[in-house]
Amino acid sequence: MKHFSRTQWNKVAGLLLIVMLLVSCGKPASKATPPPDVTAEDAFMGLPLAIPKRYDPSIEMQSVISVNATVKFLGEDDIHNNIWTRAYEQLLGIKLTYKWVVDGSMYGQKLGLSVNSGDVPDMFAVSPEQLHLFHEAGLLADLTDVYEAEASAKTRDVLTQDPISLKAATIDGRLWGIPLTDAAVASASLLWIRQDWMDKLGIEAPASMADVLEISRRFTEEDPDGNGAQDTIGLCVTKSLWGAIANLQGFFNGYHAYPGIWYERGGSLVYGSVQPEMRDALLALQKMYADGQLDREFGVKDINQVTETIAQGKCGMEFGVWWNPYHPLNQSQANNPHAFWTAFPIPSVDATPAKSQYYSAIGAFLVVRNGYEHPEALIRMINFWTDNILGTEDDNIRRTFLGDIENPDVVLYKYTPVVLWEPNAMIDGGKKLREALAKKDPSGLDLDTQWRYRIIQAYFEQGTLEAWVEVATNGPNGATTILEQVMRDRGQLNRFYGVPTATMAEKMPTLQPMEDEVITKIIMGEPIGSFDQFVENWYKLGGTEIVNEVNLWAERNH
Amino acid sequence: MNDKSKQPLVQRSHLPLILLGVVMTGYGLLTALVGSWFSSQAMRGLMTAGVYRARLMAFEQTAGLMAGLLFCALFVWCAVRASGIVRVAFAIGALASFAPVLTGRAERLLFTVLGLPTMSAGSVIAGAVTALVFALPMMILFILLACGRRVPRGGRWLSLASIFVVLGTAFFPIYVTVLAFLLKPGDPAVGRMMQVSSQVLKLRFILPGLSLLGLALISARLTRPQSSDAEAVVEGVLQ
Repeated sequence: MKHFSRTQWNKVAGLLLIVMLLVSCGKPASKATPPPDVTAEDAFMGLPLAIPKRYDPSIEMQSVISVNATVKFLGEDDIHNNIWTRAYEQLLGIKLTYKWVVDGSMYGQKLGLSVNSGDVPDMFAVSPEQLHLFHEAGLLADLTDVYEAEASAKTRDVLTQDPISLKAATIDGRLWGIPLTDAAVASASLLWIRQDWMDKLGIEAPASMADVLEISRRFTEEDPDGNGAQDTIGLCVTKSLWGAIANLQGFFNGYHAYPGIWYERGGSLVYGSVQPEMRDALLALQKMYADGQLDREFGVKDINQVTETIAQGKCGMEFGVWWNPYHPLNQSQANNPHAFWTAFPIPSVDATPAKSQYYSAIGAFLVVRNGYEHPEALIRMINFWTDNILGTEDDNIRRTFLGDIENPDVVLYKYTPVVLWEPNAMIDGGKKLREALAKKDPSGLDLDTQWRYRIIQAYFEQGTLEAWVEVATNGPNGATTILEQVMRDRGQLNRFYGVPTATMAEKMPTLQPMEDEVITKIIMGEPIGSFDQFVENWYKLGGTEIVNEVNLWAERNH
Repeated sequence: MNDKSKQPLVQRSHLPLILLGVVMTGYGLLTALVGSWFSSQAMRGLMTAGVYRARLMAFEQTAGLMAGLLFCALFVWCAVRASGIVRVAFAIGALASFAPVLTGRAERLLFTVLGLPTMSAGSVIAGAVTALVFALPMMILFILLACGRRVPRGGRWLSLASIFVVLGTAFFPIYVTVLAFLLKPGDPAVGRMMQVSSQVLKLRFILPGLSLLGLALISARLTRPQSSDAEAVVEGVLQ
């Protein structure tokens, strides 16, 4: 072989240098930038906004708001002067000011004190309990007529997608608040299983609760993580038993039991936690615990500790809501890039399909002070939100009113109390996304859904395994397809959405811990007779009155 | 440059170089087609994500192992038939044979066997390593060929262009993935880049393979009087 001459080496080095320079040439990392020094008019100019009728001259509206410490502002902005206050003033003619601003955890208490002292804001958010309380005190404006006169088609659509939402704000046939809507079905539990473990052990999708129990056994006994030790558990459960992550209500639903909610049986509403179907589910859980398929210390483990178990790859199943892959299931990839979870509808213990229980998503209402001269202003502000922000495909509108990709920590909609989400958006978006995936054509999707499309595409076409989170939630056969079934005929909605009845408010704080305690103890080995005793006690200690009150409420509201 | 001083890239027969180009292009085409078919089925919901992954991994591991062995054998064959800087180039290029073998195995090797931290981006890191294992030797190969004084002029220009082709097809998809998942999630502009990236990824083996075929064609012209019948047929097809 001939020696490489000095000139040739120089050329090689020169070429390498050029290549490296070209590679290193690129746009420098972008910094968080303060807002440009523009006037409010400049900020809104050119945006294709649908503007409701503008007040001329402008009107004053005093409100109150909760802002947590995590909420960030850009530049000179603060809660009193930001893109939303400027938009209301410039575009709608509403000068919105806040009497006070408080952390979210203190809002209810502060509002109560403020109203009791006679200082009632013009427009404010209230809890269901406060809605009834303030209505009874005559503090709230009747919004029935202004809603009928002013609500846009989109606003009406958003507020009627969940059939309960307007009912929940209606007292004696009149509308006293506007519900802050969200997706109710999002609270339905699904069964999440480690798909890579199923594949490794050759396990098929569960068709019944018997299959679930068998999968749990195999995950516990057959070393699915392949480390040679029997250190895995079948099912993750948190000490709180209920909730969005690693809950037990999904497991109970498989046995047609619906703990913690009210549903119809024999023509009246019954409380799920004291129904006989609970027994079989409890016995099954007790056996799983005895066989080591549940964490021996689940009774003291909170969500953070369960997340740690998932991150360590020691848990193979959990019942949780549709967004669990975003957290905590994504943590399972911390040690194993091949880890991924798949959602399944809750299987049934028998031939009757199981139903996932879920709750109304209405947790708060926007109300107007009785006597305020412009109650319709609230409806106009809501119209502005629903007509311009919800599902917008305009990137400039999103950047202006929701936030900018350059500053992901700055969430602009947190500066306004007027925030409603479309209850069906998730389901509709999922359908459109799956249609686009099938056609491999994302045109026609809104920006959010288009992004989801790209992420799913990255999973299937580029092998980006971290994108499984989007595949498992919104992809073909993902969690949102199961939620469609739940909405159609496989869901059990909590039929009681009123404020707590008198006895409920008084007794439930005692009855609920009693319920949780007896369930935990039975799972950990206490005889099932304890459940029968609990049911007897529940009725004795106020349950009978609660059932009667709930059914009276149902007669009036259904 | 004096054309008289130019020599063919490989002596006697260009068959090893032609085969190398054909195998590399064929492997790239096959993986692109099979991957597209699997992803199409999965995106239409005809195949679950679990089945998709299991089948794709089985295919990648089998095809990757076979392709890797073939690449290695053909690179070595080319090196044996070459001399000087070209031999060095093919010898270094042989290291790229590890890339297809790593496809579908890199995650296990890096994070299970070697115990490296995944930093919650295991597949991205594994993809980057696999791309690097292929791109680095191939880039050096093409740089050496571009600098080789006895390499035919057309071959040097083609090699120069191939450096950037290898760079682009190897690192553009990784760059876009990092943008999409870490730096600018949700940015519509990155979304459009992701669309391009998924197509570029399919060219990772095809374009360098075609470059090698082009080099074989250019080099074969220098040895036309000695070329075998088989090469003449291949050359005819290429032309």
